Amino acid sequence: MTTTTNRTALFAEGLRAAQGEFVQCRSWDDVWQYAESLSDETPVVAPAAYVHLQRGESPDEEDPLRSIADRSVGITIATCGIAETGSVLLIEPAPIDRAVSLLTRHLIVALAEPDIVDELTDGFRWLAQQPRAAAYATFVTGPSRTADIERSLTIGVQGPSRLTVAVLP
Amino acid sequence: MSASTAPFKQRYRRSVSDPELKPRLLAFQRSWRESRDAQVRSLEQRTERSFDELRREFAAVKDSTLERIDDYIAEFRANAEAAGATVVQLSTAEEAVNYIAAVCKSRGIDLVVKSKSMVSEEIELNYELEQRGITAIETDLGEWLLQLAEERPSHLVMPAIHQKRQYVAEILGEELGREFDPDDIPAMVASARDGLRRHYLSAGAGLTGANALIAETGSIVVVTNEGNMRLATSLPDVHFVTAGIEKLIPSWSDAERQLQLLPRSATAQTLSTYTTCITGAQPGKEMHVILLDNGRRAMRDSDVIGDALRCIRCGACANVCPPYQIVGGHTFGHIYTGAIGLVNTTFHHGIEDAAGPQGLCVSCGACQTVCPVDIPLPKQILEIRHRSHESGHAPLWEQIALRLWARPRLFHHLMGVAAAGSGLARLVGLVRGDHLRAPLPKRLRWRAIPALPLRSGRTLIKSRAPQSTLSDSPAAGQTVDLFAQCLADRLMPSAVDSAARLIEAGGAAVNVPESQHCCGLPAFDAGDWDMARRMAEHTIEALEDGEREIVTPAPSCVISMQDHWPRLFADDGEWRARAAGVSDRVHDLADWLEGPGRLPDACLRNGDGTSWTAHRFCQASNRNDAGARIDKLVERLTGETARPLAEPDVCCGFGGLTSLAAPEVGAGILERKLACVAESGCDTLITNNPGCVIHLRAGANAGGANHKTLHYADFLAARLPKDP
Repeated sequence: MTTTTNRTALFAEGLRAAQGEFVQCRSWDDVWQYAESLSDETPVVAPAAYVHLQRGESPDEEDPLRSIADRSVGITIATCGIAETGSVLLIEPAPIDRAVSLLTRHLIVALAEPDIVDELTDGFRWLAQQPRAAAYATFVTGPSRTADIERSLTIGVQGPSRLTVAVLP
Repeated sequence: MSASTAPFKQRYRRSVSDPELKPRLLAFQRSWRESRDAQVRSLEQRTERSFDELRREFAAVKDSTLERIDDYIAEFRANAEAAGATVVQLSTAEEAVNYIAAVCKSRGIDLVVKSKSMVSEEIELNYELEQRGITAIETDLGEWLLQLAEERPSHLVMPAIHQKRQYVAEILGEELGREFDPDDIPAMVASARDGLRRHYLSAGAGLTGANALIAETGSIVVVTNEGNMRLATSLPDVHFVTAGIEKLIPSWSDAERQLQLLPRSATAQTLSTYTTCITGAQPGKEMHVILLDNGRRAMRDSDVIGDALRCIRCGACANVCPPYQIVGGHTFGHIYTGAIGLVNTTFHHGIEDAAGPQGLCVSCGACQTVCPVDIPLPKQILEIRHRSHESGHAPLWEQIALRLWARPRLFHHLMGVAAAGSGLARLVGLVRGDHLRAPLPKRLRWRAIPALPLRSGRTLIKSRAPQSTLSDSPAAGQTVDLFAQCLADRLMPSAVDSAARLIEAGGAAVNVPESQHCCGLPAFDAGDWDMARRMAEHTIEALEDGEREIVTPAPSCVISMQDHWPRLFADDGEWRARAAGVSDRVHDLADWLEGPGRLPDACLRNGDGTSWTAHRFCQASNRNDAGARIDKLVERLTGETARPLAEPDVCCGFGGLTSLAAPEVGAGILERKLACVAESGCDTLITNNPGCVIHLRAGANAGGANHKTLHYADFLAARLPKDP
């Protein structure tokens, strides 16, 4: 498990096993087009992704969570991906950083392919070295789910019901 | 939710009268087992370490942290406070509730949204806050459903697993004022998003538990699936964390070890959907970390029990527990459920609340085999049963039965009378097969009462000529002492005789020490260790005369002598040595026939075409005893292959006194076993422990099953050459 291609394939496999979706994009333009194709609503964009996209709607600074609750499509960016599990690591210290990943219906997470690491260990090592990142960090593995009613697995509860990782070169 | 709970007997009756609980939990246990095993296998492949190695490594981390818990608390506190959190150490449930209430009052908070926290259940926080004028709303779907129904969790990870969808539709309908179709589970799930949203928006505080507290950075780690925890920590201005002190681990690399084991063991996921790490208070917000003791230090310092603090609350112990499958967590446990609940309830809630369900455990030992931190739960449950017995919680019938059992001469007289009565019943046509056709109360009708043969096993051995030698084993020429086992000697004497004949076929002579009776296992299991000790002393005296090897057809007695005797004589050096002098020489018959008394391959092939399968005595199997694999032994000696049997190591439901104390549990587990046996399509079911033989035979007789049930010694000895 050394080549980037291998790692990406493994990541995609883990992500799909967790009911997530995987798309390969060539550029941020691709990510945007994909997001726009999903709904008539304008996608909402987390601050860290806005730096790259320079378009879309941003959460309201005063009341970020209420402002985007239940919007159809949101875009955010991952610090790294874990090939072993298909997880993405989101570093979101403030509520405004988190709003998009918390409350949109279909979350798109942009991930740079070189940032895919082999194992959870690598993700944790990274976290341990960046104490400020661990202020609020989440490994997200697929869309939200529950099996609380008669063990019936239901995808999409209080967090996003669809999760797509858009891998960029 | 009320602070009180129904008495144990009432909970027991309620759960055994729910016809849907058993099948639902059975389906759950089986599907969990399959996906959990697959997860563990892939983890083992990827890490090139065995599950045992991985769990022992992490258990060692937990143990060493607990030994220096105050240092780690200090480190955690310094780091978390440097990041803006407030960390408090509190001793009791009341202190914890008061602290949370006081913070809420001083900030004018009257609504708290909660993510799942077992510690908050432990301290009955919702009820207590309500008494102080503060509303707490559960936001995990399962916990919310429990709150609406005013119930407690019945599983550590799947809290509402006992609720059926019709009931869920009803309570959601009531809360949200609209109708739900019970078959539309996605719609009911979706209602949580809408039903809970307003609470997040108006709550002044969010409360979460923690799966781990990381000392080196003062961080908390929480694993969830729904996304509610992230909402509860993002919208309100105050974040409470309630966690037991045992959640501390030194470093991030330890957190990773824990995360390798936790989701795989809990929900059979590689990783839960959200693994959230929070360090300190967020800008402009407050974070209060409540480190609760509530009996944990006492637990750590308590003999045998300390290891239970390693628990990471995955619930795996319930997922393999046969009695849990029958009664569910409202009966099998208190607030903490499953095997761990039988142990830790004593320390968090008191022996009164822990005592009721103790008798439900069948001591099969399955819990420890899947525990990701290798907690010796079976041993701990026996310890708690002992304490519960000491504090006066033993049922009267049990005390009387054990008193009779403990007296060898009286026991033999009673058995003699029962055998004579059975003989009489046979004469007047009241015996069908080997069982009486006596009417039984409805609760007990799932089993038949065995008719006692007239002659005991020992008498049978004495009244025949020695079996001719088939082939000289390494033990040829030796004399071996046979420990017949009290139950087998009277209830299945032919198996005792068969065991002797198999030993003789290997060229050894058999001596049956006259005064032998019972090793003390039933009393030990019941927690009556004084009685157990008297019985053990009697057995030691009966068997210590001589240097001969001792063989028994009852693996449960071997376990009793090797595992329980040292505990009984822990404080008595002289008796401990005498006990070891006996237990060091004792062999399970199956081990003997593979080892010193080894019979050659295929020596008992008779080609009669009987199809057979084997139930392995669970306790021996779960300890990984080689002798438990009787299917392998019988295959080797007969040259015939066993029919595949599903769940060959799952308990048959005998469980010593359990099938007497809780007949519905004995019956329910037996039903599961007999269904597997029927599916195997065998003519003959063989097994290795006398209790299992008696239980499986009586159940098969009552249920009109088509197969014969035999101790493997009988199955094998029937193939020995007939002596002239």
